[in-house]
Amino acid sequence: MGGLSEILWQEQSSLPLLIWLQLIPLIGAAVVFAFKERSTAVIAGKVFALAELLLGVIVTSRINPTLPALQMAERFDLIAYHVAVDGLSLIFILLTALLTFLMTLYGMSRGMISPGRLFAVLLVAEAGLVGMLMTVNLVWFCVFSALELWAVFHLLRRWASSRAEIQALARFIQYQAFGWALFAGGCVVLGWAYADAHAGYWSFDLFELVGAVPAGKFQTAAFYLLFYGLAVRTPLFPLHGWLPNMAQHGLIAVAPALMVGVKVGIYGMVRFVLPLTPAAVEYWQPYVVGFAMAGIFFTAALAFQQTNLRRLLAFAVVSHTSLLVIGVFSLHESGIQGAILLAANFGLAATGMWFIVGFVFRRTGTTELHELSGLFERIPFLAIAFLSFGLAIVGMPGTPGFDAAHLVLEAAIDRFGALSTVAAALGNVAAAGFLLWAFQRAFLSPHQEGRELDVDRTLPMEYLVCGIALAAMLAIGVFTEPWLRLTETASQAIALRFIR
Amino acid sequence: MTLPLPLQLPPQLPLLSLLIFAPLGGALALWLLPARAARHLVALTLLITLAISSAVLFNFDPAGARFQLIERLPWIASLNVHYLVAVDGLSVLFLPATALLFLGSLVASWNLVHDAPRLHYSLLLTLQSATLGIFCALDTVLFFFFWELTLVPLYFLLGRWGATRDSPLAAARYLLIMLAGGIPLLIAFIVLASSQPTIPPTLSFDLIALLAAPLPRSTQTLVFLLCLLGFALKVPLVPLHTWLPQFSLAAPGSLTALIVGLKLGVFGLIRFAIPLAPAAAQDMHWLLAGLGTVTLLYGAVGILGQTNLRIALAYASICHVGLAVLGLASFSAQGAQGAVALLLSFTVATGGAFLLLEFLRQRTGSTDVNGLGGAAKSMPLLASGVLICGLAGVGMPGTSSFPGEFPLILAALQSHTGAGMAALFGLSIAAGGFLALYRKAFFGPVTRPEVAQAEDLRPRERVVLIALIIMIVGIGLYPAPWFDIIRPAAEAWAAGLSR
Repeated sequence: MGGLSEILWQEQSSLPLLIWLQLIPLIGAAVVFAFKERSTAVIAGKVFALAELLLGVIVTSRINPTLPALQMAERFDLIAYHVAVDGLSLIFILLTALLTFLMTLYGMSRGMISPGRLFAVLLVAEAGLVGMLMTVNLVWFCVFSALELWAVFHLLRRWASSRAEIQALARFIQYQAFGWALFAGGCVVLGWAYADAHAGYWSFDLFELVGAVPAGKFQTAAFYLLFYGLAVRTPLFPLHGWLPNMAQHGLIAVAPALMVGVKVGIYGMVRFVLPLTPAAVEYWQPYVVGFAMAGIFFTAALAFQQTNLRRLLAFAVVSHTSLLVIGVFSLHESGIQGAILLAANFGLAATGMWFIVGFVFRRTGTTELHELSGLFERIPFLAIAFLSFGLAIVGMPGTPGFDAAHLVLEAAIDRFGALSTVAAALGNVAAAGFLLWAFQRAFLSPHQEGRELDVDRTLPMEYLVCGIALAAMLAIGVFTEPWLRLTETASQAIALRFIR
Repeated sequence: MTLPLPLQLPPQLPLLSLLIFAPLGGALALWLLPARAARHLVALTLLITLAISSAVLFNFDPAGARFQLIERLPWIASLNVHYLVAVDGLSVLFLPATALLFLGSLVASWNLVHDAPRLHYSLLLTLQSATLGIFCALDTVLFFFFWELTLVPLYFLLGRWGATRDSPLAAARYLLIMLAGGIPLLIAFIVLASSQPTIPPTLSFDLIALLAAPLPRSTQTLVFLLCLLGFALKVPLVPLHTWLPQFSLAAPGSLTALIVGLKLGVFGLIRFAIPLAPAAAQDMHWLLAGLGTVTLLYGAVGILGQTNLRIALAYASICHVGLAVLGLASFSAQGAQGAVALLLSFTVATGGAFLLLEFLRQRTGSTDVNGLGGAAKSMPLLASGVLICGLAGVGMPGTSSFPGEFPLILAALQSHTGAGMAALFGLSIAAGGFLALYRKAFFGPVTRPEVAQAEDLRPRERVVLIALIIMIVGIGLYPAPWFDIIRPAAEAWAAGLSR
């Protein structure tokens, strides 16, 4: 049970880049907010989102992915500020930056009300996400998490797309506040255990906690609190109740993408839960995996019942999250690496699908499947993009999902045997089934009598948004090598704690 | 067959990559030109592909090393996955056959695609790239990549340009069944890759290396069963065949010709399933032979109940892949050689028959015998074309199928005598069934005016017919040059099994 090691930023670059990575979206939010609703606000929003993406790329090029240490570390002990990144967090940071940038483009093409305010809130949410992804202090994680949840809450309240929003919003708050409280409770248990062992000195720093994990019941309690706190967030079956309502009634694309596009829940499990409660993780592993397997099929069955495209996508997300959890809880380096890459792949693909649903909604004013038909004729590019994203979720070769799913399956065969693996993989085919079914109903089915929809052709901005997402996906899918290298050593470092 | 021809290209030229990516390049080029030029550009691309595949054939030396024209590039280095393509005597002939089949398919649908032609043809060319990739890939991950890549264009071609209202349904069904079939394959490849006895353990997806390192018996059994499941769905072997009749009804004829003409499933069995797990395959020879025999008989009996020529052809195809699998279960060079020869003949003959039936459907609006009757009166050329392809389809001596079918039956009689007898019986049922249908469709009194007024083959279609006859009869009467290419590889294949 080794401790963690880190490399300070001074050794790797001339500037503390990570603090800038966190500040750019915040500054951007302030600037955009100050511009109010002028057109400059919109441009500023895009510029800051793009700057964040470029800085993320720079940071990625600076770290050395072959070292198991956390890198570019920055510490400021007075406020317990401690951040560091490795390959795993960088994957998510890049994804966050890319998705935010795409959302700024998307927000324009949809013609939202008060785009300036929207972009400000979006950048705040990005700051929260990026903060969660680089801090190694549990309290900071909770704070950033609260910041992001506040931003999403604000988005839902101000830009919701239907009247049932109140109920969706209430459900969202209930679930998220509860999940957040559970996670915070887990942090307290861990901090307390540390204080007990160190003469009343409290710490929530991962580096210190990992050397003094609580024993016995306390560890189990901490595990449950942290795990379920993150499971609500992820969302993991059966704690997914908030997502379908929010997806159906909330702001299309932006809100779901912020909540589930970047799977901080999965990241939190890998970064905090596995190292901090190793014995409990090993003990409860079969139960978690069992639930996840059941979840794949249960939510796939629910997805088949949906009549609304947005709800259907929400269930697709829940079904896939179960596969990620199987990967993480295989406690195998390939499984963890695969789960992280798969999470990024789902994030990109699912967000792409949400965008397309948004474009469809702008044209038709509905996402009820029985009211959509024959869209392929009018928007073939969006239709093919939708199907490509769907196939990426299923792990079609040529998309990042393939190599990632391949790694997860490899780990699953190793740990749980071929039979359970085949079962899990079949769940994936079920997912392919409902996505295809939705695709056919919305895009391929012939027009109903007298219901000829007047649908606009694809706009340049829509080509751009979907084109970028699609190009990124296919490029990563065919050239997976750099991404595998980025995550390999970091995953090994985490799996090393569980070598049998 | 080292010919002193100007086609003898320098060995540095990456011929196989050119071949695989030429159609893809054509698919991209389509979008640069106006839609009305699309089909001509596609024809050009397909001719170029045919030329490159012939160049591959001329550069292949049957007496040389087993795998030739090898190209190897690192693809995903940390997983040890390579871009590894090569051909051997078992696969090299499939390349020109594939090119021909796609060319024929284009001709059959020449005037039919009015609706988003560039999209349609890009998908068709992508499908060709993926298919050629399947025949060339020697890295299991690369193979799987191409294998799954075929599904997307097929899904759209069937779902969007299908012949019936149910086409999207049939397309989704096909895609889902094939995705499900991909899972056992992928798992088998992962198991193979991670069970290499090297120290430290490295993943290996390289077929040449995998063939050189025998696996433990228990792993072999698992790998063989998983591969068999995955490939049997594609073949299709009874009882996993249910998608095929539905597919061939819902698809336009040109697409059915592709799906029935390309015997990817059996190729997978020959290339991967049997050589990678030879001991397990030989232990389970009864399973392979049994599946083959059941499939053969099922296909033969299936023909009897049909009234639609297209469906009957789909059943004839089921019948003959059954024979190929039965022959493979002998695990002899003779069996492998016969199977490859039969599959190649089928690519030409079944593909040709489907194309001719598509011509027939365009004229009379039907391929159902009840709607035809006496069609030979108005369309003698078409009728004789269907007869020749059909006779090749039932293995008549003198047609291209016979040189493949004969060694297969011999091999089957030697290794599984009972099954071989059953196969002979099944083949005669199939032949009888086909001839009975043919008689109803083309002879007898003319009942419908469409049939009476139908025009015989037009010049472009006559070219297709003549090319078909030359190939079917030519190969049937003088198969030696082709067998010289297949035989050494088939012998190496059989020798590899008895390690």
